[in-house]
Amino acid sequence: MMKEIDCRGLACPAPVLQTKEALERDRPQIIKVVVDNEASKQNVARFMTSQNLQVSIEEKGSDFHIIGRVGDSPAAQATVDEQVEDAPRKIMVVVTNNCVGHGDDELGQKLMVSFLKTLKEMGRELWRLVFVNNGVKLTIRGSELLPIIQEHDQAGIHILVCGTCLTHFNLLDQKQVGETTNMLDIVTAMQLADKVITI
Amino acid sequence: MCGITFPTDENVLVGLEHADDAGVYKVTDDIALIQTVDFFTPIVDDPYWFGQIAAANALSDVYAMGGVPKTAMNLVAFPVKDMDLSILRQIIQGGADKMREAGVVLVGGHSVEDRELKYGLSVTGFIHPDRILTKKDLRAGDRLVLTKPLGTGIINTAIKGGLASADIIEKVTQLMATLNRDAAEAMSRYPVHGCTDITGFGLLGHMAEMVSGTPFGIRLMSRDIPILSEAVAYAGMGLVPAGAYKNREFRECMVDFDPSVDRLVQDILFDPQTSGGLLIGVQRDRAADLVAELRAKGIDDAAVIGEVTAQPGERIAVG
Repeated sequence: MMKEIDCRGLACPAPVLQTKEALERDRPQIIKVVVDNEASKQNVARFMTSQNLQVSIEEKGSDFHIIGRVGDSPAAQATVDEQVEDAPRKIMVVVTNNCVGHGDDELGQKLMVSFLKTLKEMGRELWRLVFVNNGVKLTIRGSELLPIIQEHDQAGIHILVCGTCLTHFNLLDQKQVGETTNMLDIVTAMQLADKVITI
Repeated sequence: MCGITFPTDENVLVGLEHADDAGVYKVTDDIALIQTVDFFTPIVDDPYWFGQIAAANALSDVYAMGGVPKTAMNLVAFPVKDMDLSILRQIIQGGADKMREAGVVLVGGHSVEDRELKYGLSVTGFIHPDRILTKKDLRAGDRLVLTKPLGTGIINTAIKGGLASADIIEKVTQLMATLNRDAAEAMSRYPVHGCTDITGFGLLGHMAEMVSGTPFGIRLMSRDIPILSEAVAYAGMGLVPAGAYKNREFRECMVDFDPSVDRLVQDILFDPQTSGGLLIGVQRDRAADLVAELRAKGIDDAAVIGEVTAQPGERIAVG
């Protein structure tokens, strides 16, 4: 059963309260909440996550459609469990700078080349590679490391690049690899990962 | 209000050009006048407590400048046709009791009819012209002390949504109604280089004001920051006020979060506070004594939460 509620024009916390009420009253398998501002979008998504729904967000013009799916039917649960048993561990690597360590930047940049190349040794366990702050500079046109990151990309590793950071450095149009992302995705990924390594 | 020029004169010690917690006007070489005004719509259901909170909040700006409030005037907007006058009576009583506690006398006021209830004070206080504490005098190495826990905006959102427990409503009401007087009195005996009170811009918003345009930055230890634990739970349920997201959007370009800082904690650092605590920049070697004295006065949540760094300027690192 799908339930849709229109929360446009409502201020926080009303959209969350309406979502809560709809979930408790109708117990839908899928719920779609339409909101028209960023705060409501984040709050409703967060509320659905706290209720163990799988959340996806679609941007429609100036509105956001937040869709939550209940994933607790026995059949669905079994497949998830099986996948978990078979799947390798999920390691997420967060790159916060364009060099490794502090002190000598020239050395740090060499170490970063070596680090990103050597990451391949993690094999199938390397799951996501996230670039934030100065780290986003590695993903842009002219970066020495671009070919190595592209190799990871082709190998099926999910590459995420922080959109706020790209905007901050005015590099949004120069990114050459990976998916531009936001903090909600990064945090969600951290939650899903078995291990998070920050460099 | 860009483009509008306002009259000024040489006795204005703190005015519009460096917007601070309150305005300061020199009367003699020994006395300056501090003036501030604040009013808002109800944040708790109980009118008597709302009156106390609104008064404590308005008085706080004088304390944050290092001054002593002396007189106040009531500001009232009231829906006479839709609401019983006894409600207004309880609000005014709450304000009066808080003023009495602060040693402030009510000398007048003004009320208008309005569809939405609002209450607050215009406050006047005194300060020595050489002892004004602005937001912009921090020095590298200073320790930053916070005197009340964060999270009142998120908890007020939960109250508005009818999802807050009775215990936390009582706790947060008491907290918002607590004067910053004792904290201000304690800090007056220490080498303090800057102070502000935490209100609508949230901790990080007010910190950003303190370092912007200065050569200094701030390093915060998120684990040391006093936070109402219920706020973390409510933030996880999406009960974050829109103001917190706006504060974040406006100031996150100045903030470097270590990835270890939980997203919910980050939101609390941007959460708009009502009648929040003082943020005090105190000389490094006296910070522990100041915190000990604050705690001895019953300000149990007081803690050193970070330090002023020589560089990088205009950055706030949260670890």
